[in-house]
Formats: sequence, structure tokens, C-alpha cells
Amino acid sequence: MNTFFLAELLPPDTNIPIILPELVVAFAGIVVMVYDSFFPKDRVTSGLISLLGLVVSGVLLATMWSVETLGATSWNGMIAHDNLRLGFSFVFLLVSAMTILISTVWVEREDVPVGEYHALLMFATFGMMLMASGNDLVIIFLGLETLSIATYVMAGLRRGDLKSNESAMKYFILGSFASAFLLYGMALVYGATGSTNLTQIADNVVNPNFPALLLIGGGMMVVGFGFKVATVPFHIWTPDVYEGAPAPVTGFMAAGPKAAAFASFIRVFVLGFPFIAGVSASSYLHESWMTALTVMAILSMTIGNLAAIMQNNVKRMLAYSSIAHAGYALVGFIGAGAAKPGQAQDAAIASVAFYMLTYAVTNLGAFAVISLLAQKNDRRAEFEDYNGIGFKSPVLAFTLSLFMLSLLGLPLTAGFMGKVLVFRPALEAGNTLLTVLVVVAVVNTAISAYYYLRLIVVMFFRERTTEWIDPKIPVGLAAALLIAVVGVFYLGIFSNGIIEKFSQSRSTVGAQLR
Amino acid sequence: MNFITENLLTILVLLPVIGAVGVIVHQMFWQQESHLKWLTFTLTLVNFLISLLLLTNQGKAAASGFFFEKNVPWISAINTNYHVGVDGLSLWLVILTTFIMPISVVSTWHAVEKRPVAFYAFLLLLEGAMIGVFVSLDLLVFYLFFEASLVPMFFLIGIWGGENRIYAAVKFFIFTALGSLLMLAAIIALYYVHAGVNGVGTFDFVVLMKSMELGQLSFTGPLATTGTLLFLAFALAFAIKVPLFPFHTWLPDAHTEAPTAGSVILAAVLLKMGTYGLMRFNFTLFPEASREFAPLFIILAIIGIIYGALVAMVQPDVKRLVAYSSVAHMGFVILGMFSFTEWGMQGALYQMLNHGVSTGALFLLVGFIYERRHTREISEFGGLANVMPIYATIFVITAMSSVGLPFLNGFVGEFLIMVGMWKSTILGITASTNWNYVATMLAGTGVIFAAVYLLWMIQRVFFGTVTNDKNKKLADLSWREIGLIAPLMFLMVFMGVYPRPFLDAAKDSVNAIQKRVMHQAGGEVDHATATENKTPVIESHE
Repeated sequence: MNTFFLAELLPPDTNIPIILPELVVAFAGIVVMVYDSFFPKDRVTSGLISLLGLVVSGVLLATMWSVETLGATSWNGMIAHDNLRLGFSFVFLLVSAMTILISTVWVEREDVPVGEYHALLMFATFGMMLMASGNDLVIIFLGLETLSIATYVMAGLRRGDLKSNESAMKYFILGSFASAFLLYGMALVYGATGSTNLTQIADNVVNPNFPALLLIGGGMMVVGFGFKVATVPFHIWTPDVYEGAPAPVTGFMAAGPKAAAFASFIRVFVLGFPFIAGVSASSYLHESWMTALTVMAILSMTIGNLAAIMQNNVKRMLAYSSIAHAGYALVGFIGAGAAKPGQAQDAAIASVAFYMLTYAVTNLGAFAVISLLAQKNDRRAEFEDYNGIGFKSPVLAFTLSLFMLSLLGLPLTAGFMGKVLVFRPALEAGNTLLTVLVVVAVVNTAISAYYYLRLIVVMFFRERTTEWIDPKIPVGLAAALLIAVVGVFYLGIFSNGIIEKFSQSRSTVGAQLR
Repeated sequence: MNFITENLLTILVLLPVIGAVGVIVHQMFWQQESHLKWLTFTLTLVNFLISLLLLTNQGKAAASGFFFEKNVPWISAINTNYHVGVDGLSLWLVILTTFIMPISVVSTWHAVEKRPVAFYAFLLLLEGAMIGVFVSLDLLVFYLFFEASLVPMFFLIGIWGGENRIYAAVKFFIFTALGSLLMLAAIIALYYVHAGVNGVGTFDFVVLMKSMELGQLSFTGPLATTGTLLFLAFALAFAIKVPLFPFHTWLPDAHTEAPTAGSVILAAVLLKMGTYGLMRFNFTLFPEASREFAPLFIILAIIGIIYGALVAMVQPDVKRLVAYSSVAHMGFVILGMFSFTEWGMQGALYQMLNHGVSTGALFLLVGFIYERRHTREISEFGGLANVMPIYATIFVITAMSSVGLPFLNGFVGEFLIMVGMWKSTILGITASTNWNYVATMLAGTGVIFAAVYLLWMIQRVFFGTVTNDKNKKLADLSWREIGLIAPLMFLMVFMGVYPRPFLDAAKDSVNAIQKRVMHQAGGEVDHATATENKTPVIESHE
């Protein structure tokens, strides 16, 4: 009786359990907000509530991973339940949890409104999760905006600091600009295919209303997503925003929103605009976006790495490095686009998710150390400030070195497995363009050695002339560091289980196409 | 005992790594820096003794030709296995590594004042990685160790090196990383090439070899271009490591700036990774491309031999001189390998060991004098034979071994390489000229140059009267230093008079590679050439 009654009230095809992980995170955000308004002085509990929410959501995700329902869609096809969603959502939860732990020092040092910060972080995470699970352009856009608005505020949380204000302002204006592009692109694609649902779009690209409209729409979406993942030529905002934003927020932005944008980007392009042999409109579309992304990947890697060499600020260096890493991830993305729908494509998509996981763990670890060393207003973030601290703060210096080596992609670290996995699909395709792309990526990795090593050189090979007080490592940050160090080695050496999990099943749209 | 022989190679790799952790833990709890060198020395010595068990050749796997094989799935999602094993080619290189390590540890007895914990930890990590390179049979695992060996060396040069250490360390890292990253791309591509012909992709070297024997995988016909590109990607990584002219520029910097132990290990072991890799992977996997590019490698090797010698001649710094002599010596190794004759290839392997022993010893000796005078400028010395007779004697013998004086080890290797090149047919033979003869003769001049630069340096450093007052009161070698150099001296003489045990152990494996590279087309052996080449190498020169 009861179920019957519910079915009458709600629109058909509801499936609350399937979006429970998202709901838990959003709910945690609301609880934090409410709690904070009653106990504004309590600086610990809001973090704990958020962490609890993230853990519960993670457990829910993990249980969903083992059920056989993978590949289904619900909510009238608006929510996809596949490995693309699960893998990326897992990354977001980890990113959020680590960001909370890393922020413990910073919120104390700068007297940040803790409750607001944690609530914003939760909403951002909710947005990211929606972006990964949305199988509909509208859902993806909603997720993106939820994420973006929260991140704009987070970038400017340090109200007294001009640089932080500038960062937030820049991020807001350019971000809105990019969102507008994305939205317009979505509208045009809707016009061309008659649907916002990606499954239907994939069916309809074969025979669009106006092929030109589809191409223009796709192009505008490339601009919008390209901005969000920070690829050249849509990267100009990145260095300023990353440098100005507080270090933990920068770490979050480099790992979380970038991964979220990749999740939607892949879903829309790889699954929504597939290659269908013999049909001119869709194959032309496929070819166009593949070429555009290849050019973007090559530019991102090359310009990101070359510019990173010239930086004197560690945060700015990592900003350019994140542009380069977006380029590496694009290599796997393009490989996924070239792969045959089915297992090979799922594995390729999983490789990007895995890459973002390795990048997130490593990068957040690096930002943990940086935000501890940075002091108030991130004053201490120049390369010179790291001079000769190697044996004066051995724990911090060695862990930071480890993260640098992982970003560089040295074996036994997470970065290496990530690189191997994203290069694989591109080489599997066996076409010349993709092989050239991998060679460019590889040469770029060698270039990147210069600036990653530079930090190690500065810390260990130079002598310190000014005084240095070894900072105490607070518990929260120590936990984040431990997660990062263990994660880097675990993903680098024992990653078999995770890779298998990530690339386990068939993705929604691909499965239906076959 | 059974456990040890079953997991011998894993133990050899892991013992130093665990030891490195042990060194750090020891320091954290007991804080006795003076214990560290003993601890490290014991560990490396034990590892050396364990590595001698390799000579028992137990558990030979008939199928693959590798001993002490171990094959455990590592990341099955991408089908890569922890697959290790040794054969005649890698056997001596592993033992060379474990043999050099205790010596280089003792060489640092008084030299490392700064941060000994990290120093010994990195030294041990380096040992683990180096052994890993020589024993891995899975290409991805090989790459992993190949890259992993960079990091400890980078720190060793960067923290404990000389004046210009930062430049040298970064240059060393980036040069090597660039080459090896291209190899990584090639390794992954090879996986899919194999998947294309066989259905299943693999990183496993033994499986790849098997597919080639069965004729499934062959870089001829449509795959010829792919084979050439893959060959070049592998070859670049190894050529930088060797280093082959013109990729050698990192070497003089790295060798000169590294601390003594670092230079010894660099010369004795790290350079061999390049020649080992060429022989193991390039020759076996890409025989066609190897033959096609052999003339290029031979020309570069000869340029390296002559150029290295000429540049060594004019160096004002003893250590830099020895460093450039490495370029010349490694040129010989390349030459021997690319002659594709049994003589040449066995000679190349033998010369790898010789170079490890002699050049390692030379770096040690340079280290001794540097510890006393804190300079290595040739012009600062003169007449040292008067104050340090033992040192002078040992130095001259070592230099002679490096030059290739008969009855010392260098002679055997160089002789075999020359004979191999002479008999080779890899460079064309025209009506008027046999270019193989020309190559041999050009390389032969390198031996003369080697005598010139080493003897001239010895003359300026050791003979004549003591010109510099600072040298008048130098102490001769201590017992520790003599004990350190004695095993190397013994080997120089032993390997010079009785090379048979070394060559015998390596013969089968090297010959197998030679057969593959010369005749392979689906494992078929061209019988006419096979019989011609059958004369065992030992008889040929005894």
C-alpha cells in the first residue's frame, strides 16, 4: 500500500538508493551549516561531521560497486550508474577528505570561518559527484554550477588578502564565462539532437537536425570543459588563481574540480559523441573532437611544462604542472575516444579515472606540506624559502620529494602507474597520431623532471643561510600526509585491485550502443 | 637453504632495500652513526656471499634458459609479472654489483662525515635497484628498476658530490630519464604489437622470445618499420646510459662530481646497464634492426674510442681523465657487441667486467689521493712514487690493466673484441676494402691512445722529483686501503691469466644471443654460418 502510494506521488523511475552517496554528502553539508550557526565557536566538530559524511558516502559507493546493477540508468536516464561514475566519485571523496585534513592547520592559522568552509566543501563535493553520475546535460550543468559557486567562494575565503581576492574574482569571471560557453554548447547540441539525454544524443548524432549546429555546440562544450580541466589554450586563469588561493584550496582545486570536469567531459564526448563507422555526420564530429583534443593535449603538456620551468613560486609551479597533467590525462581520454566501445573503452576511461586518483593523492600530499610550510597568507612559498631544509625538516622534505617524484612519474610511485595506464590506450589504438601524442607526452615528462627535481635540489643540495625552525606537524595534517605517502606507494606497487575495480564493467551508453 | 635458493634473486634485490630501512631505523632508535658503516658493510658483504650461490646454477629452467627463475603475477590487470631470472649474461653482472658494493662502502670509511644515515641508505637502495635491473625478465619490471636506480644516484651526487654537483646531478637525471621514458613508450607499444599478432599482450621477455621463436612475432614485412622505431627507442635509452658518443656529455660531469663510492658504482655497474640492455633486449627482440643499425653503432663506438682517448689526454684533472677513459672503454664494448660474432660478444661481456674492475679501481685510487690532498689536479702532483711507493705501484698496475697489457684482464677483453670485429661481416666487404678490418684497425689505435694518456698522467703524477711541498709528507696507503684494493688487484691478474671460468659460464647465453641476432627468422639457424662460427672462443686465443 505504502509503496503504491509513493509511486503515485513521485515521477516514475525514481531510485533513491542509487543517488544516496550524493545525498549523504549534501546532507552532511547542510548539517554542518546548521550546526555552525548554533555553535560558531566550535572549530572541530564541523570537520568531523563532514568526514563522517564522506566516509558514509564512500561506504555506500563501495557496496554499490559490488552489486550487479552496473551499467543501468535511473531517474529516466538522468543518472548513470557505471564505473565512470563510481571511480571518479571515489576520487572526489578522497580529495575532499584529504582537503579537510590538510586544512586543519590553515583554518587555525588564519581564523577562517570553519563551518562555512566545510559546508562549501561538502557542496562542492556534491556537485562533483553529480557531474560524474549525470547522464544528462542538465544534470551535468547543475553539478558543475554547484561545484563552481562553492569553489569561487573557497578561493576567496582569505578575505584580508588581496591576492586571494584577486584569485576569487578572476576565477569567478572567467569561470562564469566558461560556464556560459558550456551552456550555449549544450543548447546547440540539444537543438541538433533533440535531447539532453546523453544516451539519446549518442543515438541521434547519426542523424542530427543540423550537422553544423552539432559541431558548433560540441566545439563550445570543448571550450567550457577545457576551461574547467585547465588545458591550453583555456588555461590562462590557472596560475593566478592557484597562486592566490589558500594552499589547501589550491590543492583541492587542482585535484577535485579538474577530475570532475574530466568525468563529465569524457561522458559527454566519448559516450555521447561516439564514432559510428560509415555515418558521415557522427564520424566527422568524432574526428573533429579527437583532433581538437589532441592539439589541446600537446599544447597543454608542452606549454604547461615549459612554463613551469620558469616559475619561482612553488604554488605557481604546481599550477603549471597541473596544466601539464591535464594534458597527460587527455592522452588517456583520447585513447578512450579511439578505443572500440566495450571493454577496451571502459579500460581506457578507467585509466583516466585512475590517473586522476594518482594525481589527486600525490598533489594533495604536496599541498599538505606546502600549506604547512607556507605560514600566514602563504608568504613562504618561493623556491628560495625551501633552501636547505632537507635535513632540517627531514620528514616534510622527504615526503615532499616523494610527491615530486610521483608527479614526475617515477616507478614504484603512483604517478608511474598512472602514466603507464593512460599511455596504454593511446598506444593500443596503433595509429600514428596517437603514437606521436604519446611520444610528446614522454618527452614532456623528461622536461618536467627539471622543475620537479628543482625542488629536491633546493631542499637537499643547497645550504640554508637563514634560520629555520622545523614546524610541528599537527595531527590532521599528519593523517593527510600518511594517507598520501601510503597512497603513493600503494597505488604504485599494489594497485592491481584498484585498477581491476575501476575497469571492471561496461559503461552505460556504450553498453546500450552495442 | 631451500628457501634461499628458491628465492635467491628476490633476496638479492630485497636484502639491501630492507637494509636501507634498517639503517634508518637503527639511527632513529640508537643514534650511533659509527655503527652505520659496519651495518652497511655487513649487509653488502652478506649479499655478495649470497650472490655467489648463483654460481651453483640450481633450478635451471630448461624452457627459458634462465636459472633461479621466479614468476609471480604483479599487476594482472595489465598483465605484468614479477619475473626474474639469471643466465650467463646477467650472472657475472649481478656478482660484479654485489662484489663492488662492499668495496665502495669501505672506501667511504672516513670520507662521509655529512649525513651518513642517508648516504648508506641511498647506497643500499641503489644496490637493490641495480641488481633488479640485471635480473628482471619482465620489461615493465626492468624499466622500473632501471628508473629506480636513478634516484639514489641523483641524491648521492647531489648531496655528497663536489663543487659542481647540482649541475651534474640534474644533467645525469634528465639525460637518462629522457632516454628511458621513450623506452617506456616502446615497451607499452611492444605489448600491443604482441597482442596484435598473438591475441595476448605481454611484457614478459621470455614470452616475447618464445613468440619470436615460433615465428608469430617477427619484425619483418609489415612490422619492419615498427621494429625499427621500437629498436631506436630502446637503443636510445641504452646508448645514453652506456654512454655512446654523442650522448656521453653527462658522464664526465657525473663521474667527476660524484663522491668516490658513487663514481666507482657509476663506472662499475651503472654504465653496464646500457650495454646489458642492448645485448639482452635490442639484439634479441629486434635482430633485423640491430643488423641494420650495426654500422651506425660501430662508427659511433669508434668515434667514442678515439674521441674519449683524445679528450682524456688533455684533462688537467685525474678523475675527469678516468671518466673520459670510460667513454673510450665503453666504445670497445659496443664495438664488440655489434660485431655480432661470438668472439666479439663474449669479449664485450668480458670487457664490461674488466671495465668495472679496472675503472672502479682507478676511481678508488683517485679517491685515496683526493682524501689526502683534496685536489685532483695533475699539476699539483709529481714524484709521488717517492713518498707513496705502494700507492704508485698499485696505480701503475691498475693503469696497465686499463690499457690492456697482456696477462692483465683488459688484454683479454680487448683482444677478443678485436678478433671478433676482424672476423665480422657486418660492415660490408667490397672488392677493394674489407670495412671490418678498417674498423678493427681504427679501434686498435684507441689502445695506443689509452697507453698514451694513462702513462703520460702517471709520469706527471708519480715520477720525477717531488715538486710540491704539500706532497712531501703524504702517508702511503693504510691497511684498510690496501685491503680495499687487493681484491680488485687479484681479479685483474686472475681474469688476465685464467679467463676460462668467466667465459665458460657466459658462453651459452652469449652464443644464443649471437645466433638470434645473426640468423633469426623464426628461430631458424643458418647452418653454413653456424658451423663457421662454432669454434669455441676459448680455444681461439689460448
